[in-house]
Amino acid sequence: MRRRLFIAGTAAGIAAAVLLLGGLFRGSPAAAPRPTSGEALAADFAAADTAGLVLQLQTALRAAPRDVHGLGLLGLAYQQRARETGDPAWYGKSEGVLRRALRLAPHDLIATSGLASLALSRHRFGEALALGRRARALSPSTARNYGVIGDALVELGRYREAFAAFDTMARLKPGLAAYARISYARELRGDVAGARDVMRLALDAAVGQREALAWTHVQLAKLELGHGRREAAAREARAALRAFPGYVYGLDALAQVEAARGRLRAAARLERAAAQTIPLPQFVSFLGDLYAATGRLRLARDQYRLIGAIERLLAANGVRTDLETALFDADHGRASIALARRAERMRPSIDGADVLAWTLARHDRCAEALTWSRRALRLGTQDALKLFHRGMIERCLARDAEARIWFRRALALNPRFSVLWAPTARRLAR
Amino acid sequence: MRGIALALAAALATAVAVAVVVRGSSPGTANASSHREAPLISQDPSADNTDLYAFRSPDKPDTVTIVSNWIPGEDPGAGPNWYTFSPSARYDLYVDRNGDGKPDVTWQFRFKAGTPTAFLGGTQQEYTVTKVAGGKTTVVGRGLATPPDNIGPRSTPNYHDLAVKGVHSLTDGTTVFAGQRDDAFFGDIGAAFDLVAIRHGTGATGGGKDFFAGYAVHAIALQVPVAMLDNSSHVIGIWAATDRPSAQVAKGKPGLVQVSRLGNPLVNELLIPTELKDKWNATTPDKDKQFEQYYSTPILAALLNKLYPQFGPFQEKDRADIVSVLGTGLKSPNLNYTGPTFADELRLNLSIAPTAAVGKGNRLGVLGGDLAGYPNGRRLEDDVIDISERAVGGALIGHSLPLGDGVDANDVPLQSSFPYEPDPFSGFDNTKGQLQPANG
Repeated sequence: MRRRLFIAGTAAGIAAAVLLLGGLFRGSPAAAPRPTSGEALAADFAAADTAGLVLQLQTALRAAPRDVHGLGLLGLAYQQRARETGDPAWYGKSEGVLRRALRLAPHDLIATSGLASLALSRHRFGEALALGRRARALSPSTARNYGVIGDALVELGRYREAFAAFDTMARLKPGLAAYARISYARELRGDVAGARDVMRLALDAAVGQREALAWTHVQLAKLELGHGRREAAAREARAALRAFPGYVYGLDALAQVEAARGRLRAAARLERAAAQTIPLPQFVSFLGDLYAATGRLRLARDQYRLIGAIERLLAANGVRTDLETALFDADHGRASIALARRAERMRPSIDGADVLAWTLARHDRCAEALTWSRRALRLGTQDALKLFHRGMIERCLARDAEARIWFRRALALNPRFSVLWAPTARRLAR
Repeated sequence: MRGIALALAAALATAVAVAVVVRGSSPGTANASSHREAPLISQDPSADNTDLYAFRSPDKPDTVTIVSNWIPGEDPGAGPNWYTFSPSARYDLYVDRNGDGKPDVTWQFRFKAGTPTAFLGGTQQEYTVTKVAGGKTTVVGRGLATPPDNIGPRSTPNYHDLAVKGVHSLTDGTTVFAGQRDDAFFGDIGAAFDLVAIRHGTGATGGGKDFFAGYAVHAIALQVPVAMLDNSSHVIGIWAATDRPSAQVAKGKPGLVQVSRLGNPLVNELLIPTELKDKWNATTPDKDKQFEQYYSTPILAALLNKLYPQFGPFQEKDRADIVSVLGTGLKSPNLNYTGPTFADELRLNLSIAPTAAVGKGNRLGVLGGDLAGYPNGRRLEDDVIDISERAVGGALIGHSLPLGDGVDANDVPLQSSFPYEPDPFSGFDNTKGQLQPANG
């Protein structure tokens, strides 16, 4: 589930990244007056960093504050900064300049799809869908618009429409961004082999691009790890770190592999490196769980406290984290049905249903939990955590034989699918 | 597709990694994306056509050379992530012999993944060439090898010799090379695309900065007997494209989809609006009529009016001159007209003999009185940024101005024989973004 939420998010992230680069790099330089001076671009090319790009765009915009193209690019560059630093304060800045661009030019494609990708990043999926559709109306032949729309639809639980959007995207312009989405859709449908196949195409398309290549290896690592192929997962995680030494997602993936091998301390070391570089909630929470599982309770508590602070920071910057918070709470003994219900309403996906099911089960509301668990498994997704949750719900309903079948299915996918829960599953599967 | 695209894509795609390598993974460095966000995924550089050249070979005038480049902004020092052709893509060179915008002769290139070796970075690729002509599909080359990328004197010593071994004969009588080359394109992209912010005067006096100096590309070069392509009009049209396999959520046999194409230089950057770029790239030249309006109203002309009112007015609309140069070939005076079908192809009149040794042609091509240069085909030395600026400025309709970007030639000399594009800089001693001396 943790992985599920993460992956779901990364699909949205691809949209954002592709959009960002699309905006920056596909924009016909002459189609709108460019704000940046040649010297500025030259400096960028040499310095090669987003912070520098932000500075140049800001400088140019001071001279030409009504430049729509420049505002659009700056809005996207701010989103890129958010990605690079983990600091959600960049989202607000991005929104400000993109909205200003739209006030000046209500039909600007870059600003419209920039706002759509921003909404995805903030987990505001209804808004993302509306903006994505507006971008599609402005340019029905632009592939990335269908990516944004599909990402939003996935999170809203509208899978049939989402998959149709991904198909359209891949028909208009096959490439890494489309392949990654098709792969995710296949995985959701339980077609793991198909998901793997198309991710191999993504690897081919990522050739020569360090971070894209590393990211693709990480996705493959998680796919393999979640479906019983631990050594293949280890190879992919190592390939990610070879392509991009120190890559935080690579460290996180390798930590998950180590945890799946039962080497929890090694896993904690890797995850700490990731979390210290960029304190993303999923890194910090996994690290806390690893500390807890190795008896280092004080360290674990520190991490769990940090989660609260990070989520408050995200919320203050317009990011909705209800579903992630609800799952964390349910896992750590403070399940809130009200929060889970709210999260499911905003994100009526299989993940929303699963978190609500699990939360209800933790409160012994077994029959209702079963209804939601059935919804969570309706696509046939092979997700060990969701299967485990179902087993707990069956137990809750005093159907122990049924429960054992679900536990065994979860363990067959990954005998150590969760630091927190795999030991429970193993015990109860007997 | 290139321009700003090239420079920034390359810069940003490596930015993160550079930060880590240089500064270590201390907190706050830009070494990864935030939660749930994918990394920088630039726009599919291994499928990105950057430049296309076609000319009668000066050293073998009975042949035509076609050079097509992919993968913009290869940084020779980017190890351990070296560049290769994408194994799942198909790379295509098309020749239209009768002006209908449809291919009459096609060469298709499919590359295998490089064999990973410790020293060559897995950059030596085996490939197959398939020819489609007259309704027949024939494999004309199998098991051919690219040279490895130029990694450095220890891994790839005597690089030039390695590269020469990458020249192969195909069974149809053509000669082929595929692999890494120095990017022969040159230009002050920063200036050219910053509202044509020419650094010195009108730009005809040098002093520009070559943004492409030191960068490499992957090239496919083909040397074809003129007799194989010639026809009664002697004019052929050429374009290059890249296809990728499509995919669907449901299982199915994926077909190929064209994701990038290139005929005339700078069209994607300067003429096609953002909203239509994906569509334009997926379209074949026989269906280009739908884009003609963007060729006939080049927005560059409007920019020139704003920037250089003292030289204007520059005609902004109904630019039949631009439409004919890029879409049908020049009819009067007849240079390379292929008929009324509007199709974005690089048109080459095979009856015009080479006028100079490789690299020695007039950089302004036809505008400079040298009929063997762009827009009659395109030679490696043709200065297409200056030519385009001057053409849009009205050079063909009696409005000649010495516009330009101040970069007049590639940073390294061309090779005198096939494949003509120079050897790439090695990762060991690369230098990038050199300043060109002003040449007064």
